[in-house]
Amino acid sequence: MQKQGYWGYIFTLPFVINVVVFLLFPIVFSTYISFTEWDLFNAPRWIGLDNWVRVLNKHEFWVSIRNVFMFALIFVPIQTIMAFVIAFMLNQAIRAKGLFRLFYFLPVVTPWIAGGVVWVWMFNYQYGVINWVLESIGLDPVKWIDSSNWLMVVSSIAIVQVWKGVGQSMIMILAGMQNVPKEVLEASQIDGANGWKQLTKVVFPMVTPMVYLVMILSTISAFQAFDVFLGLFGSITTGIPERNMVPNLLVYRDAFLLFKMGPASATAWLLFVIILGFTLFQKYFEKKWVHYD
Amino acid sequence: MTKTTHPLLKVLMYLLLIVGAVFMVFPFIWMLSTSLKTVGAISQMPPQLIPNPVNWDNYVTIWNKVDFGRYTLNSFFIVSIEMVGSLISCAFVAFGLAMFTFRLRGLIYMIMLATLMIPSQVTMIPTYFIWKEFGALNSYYPLIVPSFLGGAFGIFLMHQFIKSLPKELYESATIDGCSPPGIFFRIYLPLCKPALAALGVFTFMGAWNNTLGPLIYLQDKELYTLPLGLLYLKSENVNQAMLMAGAVITTLPVVIVYLFAQKQFVQGIASTGMKG
Repeated sequence: MQKQGYWGYIFTLPFVINVVVFLLFPIVFSTYISFTEWDLFNAPRWIGLDNWVRVLNKHEFWVSIRNVFMFALIFVPIQTIMAFVIAFMLNQAIRAKGLFRLFYFLPVVTPWIAGGVVWVWMFNYQYGVINWVLESIGLDPVKWIDSSNWLMVVSSIAIVQVWKGVGQSMIMILAGMQNVPKEVLEASQIDGANGWKQLTKVVFPMVTPMVYLVMILSTISAFQAFDVFLGLFGSITTGIPERNMVPNLLVYRDAFLLFKMGPASATAWLLFVIILGFTLFQKYFEKKWVHYD
Repeated sequence: MTKTTHPLLKVLMYLLLIVGAVFMVFPFIWMLSTSLKTVGAISQMPPQLIPNPVNWDNYVTIWNKVDFGRYTLNSFFIVSIEMVGSLISCAFVAFGLAMFTFRLRGLIYMIMLATLMIPSQVTMIPTYFIWKEFGALNSYYPLIVPSFLGGAFGIFLMHQFIKSLPKELYESATIDGCSPPGIFFRIYLPLCKPALAALGVFTFMGAWNNTLGPLIYLQDKELYTLPLGLLYLKSENVNQAMLMAGAVITTLPVVIVYLFAQKQFVQGIASTGMKG
């Protein structure tokens, strides 16, 4: 490494500017705004804890928390398990691996709004292709995302999110599996381990760090869900119905459709605290099942 | 690679993989199929998989009437600039972090990793305020300027790569009388091609698919990007066939890029575990 330290500062300057302008200042400013009444145009007015109290007392905030919580609870396990199973299968001596990988990965690169509009169409109660399949095998059509049951709506969206995200998680776990040394597997085979034993006693423990990372990232992305809800329900003009609300959409609506910067900032911070809490919670259980080295 | 013993197990695996693949790919097929249907055919039961007659008018209509041609150009314009900005700036900062010892190096590196964890919603409102104060609302500046200041993910990716290059390169170039910026632009940047390719694909995808940024900053319809144009189209209550034609136009470029640059993309994800 080179000693002319000032060059280090010169080269990192763009990022330092980035951090100061677009991170440090916003963090301080956003905290301040959360204690004020502000419409973005007139001067902010200090109102203390009012925004926080108001947000926490609002029905729609708790609706959004409930939605995003259930959403994460359904989405994260399905995505992690599916990613693991697919990665395991694609790590076998199987034909057309590249093609399968390509297919599973395609939704990852797809713009959310495009993915959203086609899923809405497939979920359509009357003309949707999913209900048509159900009816042709003799089942009743289902009101997927139009259901009056919020749990049904949230589950349907979770499925779309799995469609969109499972490829990425799968690639990460697959990369972890390919790092399992051949010698270890051969040794276990000589010792008489069958396929199932190998999977549970050798492969799984060795990829737990990747599985853990996938879980953490999926949880964070679930709590930050925005595009999927916007893609399925959103419209530029009318926003989104309250019962399908998630915290991030609440922040967007309060800030940019209603110009209530105070409540929006308080909501954003509350969401951050919740995400942080969950990440720490998962971290706490990490040593119970994740094996390093 | 583990060995599967039972042939029946193998059949089961193929079956599962195919069912999964159909689940992943079907929405694309349905998008394409619906986009080529006539108004009468979209609500026909049972639904047709292969439209008959094939109706290209949906594409022509949204291309002309809703100005998808313009949105496409806008998207390509923004994405190109963001790619140039992010490739140069991320490599530049990563070079500084990897090659020099200076007091705040550790701190800057730590902050870089920490920025990956702060949700953008927390910083969104003040950032919007900054651009408002600069008089840059309803312009592309808020979307493209930050890409010239280096992003944590890209810096991380480039940093790992630059660290793997032999240090002697720097020494010998210094002896030859090259200045650090010269060394960066002439020697290191060209050597970084594999990592730049991965970052380039990520930047393309991130910029192409970005909805929230354009949604907040762009008001004039002439400035809309494709995802925003599609969202707008959706709010306009046009028929499903036209909406799907818009979805196809929005999806196609990024899928083509992915097909060509699959290797870089997959390696980028596998090696860092982050998303773009």
